[in-house]
Amino acid sequence: MVSLKEKFEKIVGADHVSDGSAERYVYSRDMTENPPREPQLVVMPSTAEEVQQIVRLANEERVPLVPFATGQNVGGLTIPQVDDAVIVDLKRMNRILNVDEEGMYMVVEPGVTFGHVRKYLDENHPNLRYTYAISSPFTSVIANALLQGLCDLSTRYGAMAEFINGLEAVLPTGEIVRVGSAILGDDNWFGRYPLPDLVGLFTGWQGMTGIVTKMALQLWPKKPFTRHFALFTFGEFMTTDLLKQIVRADLAEDAGALSFSVVKGLIGMPAPIEAIEGEPDYGTFLNLSGVTRLVLGGKVRLLEGIVNNSKVKEPKNLLIPFEAVARLMSEEAYGWVDFPSDSFKQLTEYDGLTWMGTYIHPRNWGEALVKGREIVEKYGYELMAFLKPMKGMHFCEFKFIIRFERDDENLKKVRQCNNELLDLALDLKAIPYKTPVWSAKKLHERADPNFVELVRRIRDLLDPNGIMNPGRWGL
Amino acid sequence: MTSDESVIEQWLHSCVRCSNCKYVFREYSPSCPSGEHFGFETYYASGRIWLAQALYKGELEWESSLLDPIFACTTCGNCESQCLAPHSEYIVDMIEELRARAVQEIGGLPSHIRFRENVVQCHNPYGAEHHNRNLVETHSLPLQAETVYFVGCTSNYRETQIRDATISVLKKAGVDFTVVDEYCCGSPLIRTGQLDPVNEAAQHNADAIKDAGAKRVVTSCSGCYRTLSRDYPKLDIELGVEVVHITQFLKELIDKGAIVPRSTEHRPIITWHDPCHLGRHMGIYDEPRDVISTLPVDLVEMETTRENAWCCGAGGGAKAAYNDWSVETSKKRIEQALRTGAELIVTACPFCTRNLRDGSSEDGPPVIDITELVGRFI
Ligand SMILES: Cc1cc2nc3c(=O)[nH]c(=O)nc-3n(C[C@H](O)[C@H](O)[C@H](O)COP(=O)(O)OP(=O)(O)OC[C@H]3O[C@@H](n4cnc5c(N)ncnc54)[C@H](O)[C@@H]3O)c2cc1C
Ligand code: SF4
Ligand code: SF4
Repeated sequence: MVSLKEKFEKIVGADHVSDGSAERYVYSRDMTENPPREPQLVVMPSTAEEVQQIVRLANEERVPLVPFATGQNVGGLTIPQVDDAVIVDLKRMNRILNVDEEGMYMVVEPGVTFGHVRKYLDENHPNLRYTYAISSPFTSVIANALLQGLCDLSTRYGAMAEFINGLEAVLPTGEIVRVGSAILGDDNWFGRYPLPDLVGLFTGWQGMTGIVTKMALQLWPKKPFTRHFALFTFGEFMTTDLLKQIVRADLAEDAGALSFSVVKGLIGMPAPIEAIEGEPDYGTFLNLSGVTRLVLGGKVRLLEGIVNNSKVKEPKNLLIPFEAVARLMSEEAYGWVDFPSDSFKQLTEYDGLTWMGTYIHPRNWGEALVKGREIVEKYGYELMAFLKPMKGMHFCEFKFIIRFERDDENLKKVRQCNNELLDLALDLKAIPYKTPVWSAKKLHERADPNFVELVRRIRDLLDPNGIMNPGRWGL
Repeated sequence: MTSDESVIEQWLHSCVRCSNCKYVFREYSPSCPSGEHFGFETYYASGRIWLAQALYKGELEWESSLLDPIFACTTCGNCESQCLAPHSEYIVDMIEELRARAVQEIGGLPSHIRFRENVVQCHNPYGAEHHNRNLVETHSLPLQAETVYFVGCTSNYRETQIRDATISVLKKAGVDFTVVDEYCCGSPLIRTGQLDPVNEAAQHNADAIKDAGAKRVVTSCSGCYRTLSRDYPKLDIELGVEVVHITQFLKELIDKGAIVPRSTEHRPIITWHDPCHLGRHMGIYDEPRDVISTLPVDLVEMETTRENAWCCGAGGGAKAAYNDWSVETSKKRIEQALRTGAELIVTACPFCTRNLRDGSSEDGPPVIDITELVGRFI
């Protein structure tokens, strides 16, 4: 009898299938506290047609599939939730298929990473930019958009799913479909509307509704004039109020705020980093731009005015131009604003990294930070909050990052801490992002039951045999 | 090895699997020949580190399917150059310790075991008849001298043109040197986790160098250079002499006027391949370039150089056990070299020379050792 492994080998070639114990171990876990589970096989397709054959085979054999790009979602999302799953590692599908200068989008495969996009655009389309995360440069741009993540244009344009013009996916039943304007053919990936917006069938689903094999993502013109500033502020409410004013005035393309401990880490302070009485609570990197020097100058003056006004309440608030930051820290500092991935070094301190992150109503942002801080401090972790105003201040993001050694005791403690943070977030009606199963289940308990039921029905409709990432999102 | 300290234990809670080691930082071109070819996460540094940790903690049982992820790595150290984490400079040490454990627990790869047996029986991994000391007679060398030229097995039994060019250059420069009854330095054994015969060979070499009354050892091979300088002290083998690589020695000889390269009408375009054991493992990047800058040649660098140089594919036992992949890796380096327009590809490691040649086409630029290049102009 032909074994399952042999059947997969027939599709992708023997070199691209493994059931070795090394692969089963490494793909069974990630950097987070989420419990491991071994897959039975790992397969690496290189084309959409191979993905299609894999999905068809999985249907015939009733084998669960888990899509994997680089496994750095920080939510345990590529860890199988059921036994005998097959990991579909997509890194061989790594082509940037097209950059349309006029329509300002790129069409990429799932193995394409931020680093590769950055290099490709710099070399071939220097007037265009994508938007970059603080993750390692080598994480998938498609996975990031599917997860509705946030990057350095999110303060202006919102979560990463907003950047999707359309996509091609292999459905759980094996059909290859397109959504968005490219239903009328290649070189027409200009947008999603006016159509039933089926991009939403794939974003936020954590790989439960199919395997995306192509995606068109929006690019933006590089602004000719830019300036960067660092803003140091005190107190959660005052910091968030000030950020709200700055972003509502449409001054910043990006505003990423970090606990001051993270700023200290950036300049090389070794772990563990403690917060010291009297130092600022947050450092925010602000990116201002303009189509002319005059426009930029106007924004700078307005920003200085807003910060000066804030000094009535908090005289120690400090706005400094990035040139001064770079002099103080190092030239590396320019890298952090130019390509935020360059700043993620301090998150590689140990073998463990996790966070509880959410999108939240602006009204509840400050309170979430105050109370979250209390929880993190209670557990004795470093204060590593990261917050971002999103989509022109329509909503906000916050997360508390925990870097830790993955031993049994820490895993337990981290789970408890994240649990408490999640309870707090849900109390404030925040929506957790990149939810591990335990977190999704807590969300279900509080969410409109008809919403959860609708999600379940759509999933069942698309995936009658339940082969795509079963158990994910607590379904 | 005598050191009881486990580098795996030291870094048991390191490596977040951030993928940074997969590509050249800020350049985004591939860095890891192993991961690039095999593709599974297990074939990158991070996968190997997680395996090493899991095996150490007992979360994973030893079994033969682990052998490929453990051994299909050239130990090139490019991952070390890209990793930003605190353990970065210990990655290759972790991989080597993992290999030593693998050899103990499940045995090594058959091709590695074969060259271990050869080293034990013939003192070189090729199983060639041991004849090193004959060179003294052939080249009328003294029995004792200030400098010992440590030929290395690949130069002596395979890439003999490197040995001959080195001896010729040293003679022309008037260097007081000899060769000793050297045994394999142990590099291929250390890199493949087969540590038990290493001490004896190392001690033999130490004694032979001492008997020659030398103050300095010069190696042709980057692997020998690393082993004599970095690994012998870990084995508590003190050579008591200065160890230099031929590129450093050539620079010294040129600087003090013992070698005066003559000019030529045609200045060939050359490119330089940084051997991993010389560059990343030992930090020697400038000396070969300084030497080349004194010659009537024009150096055009490849797109990846120095810390980021793409590996030739031969190291860490990869050539012996995975020749196809090893040559495929070398072909990628050759493609980089071709893009420079070079007429000659120059390096300073017999192992790199061999594999780069294996990756070249017959009508491509010849691959030569730096001593051969210098030899052309003196
Ligand atoms: C240090 C660090 C910093 C980070 N910073 C940020 C940040 O600033 N902003 C941000 O948004 N994220 C951030 N992340 C999270 C994450 O890295 C990104 O969202 C990332 O781009 C996800 O890509 P990945 O390659 O890790 O995906 P994976 O973890 O491999 O996959 C993520 C999910 O998508 C599914 N999936 C993957 N590919 C497909 C596909 N083709 N079709 C269907 N489903 C698929 C998987 O099954 C899984 O559920 C960070 C992570 C780390 C470790
Ligand atoms: S070895 Fe370093 S660069 Fe590679 S995954 Fe681990 S921490 Fe990241
Ligand atoms: S030593 Fe070289 S081949 Fe081995 S894991 Fe590191 S980069 Fe890859």
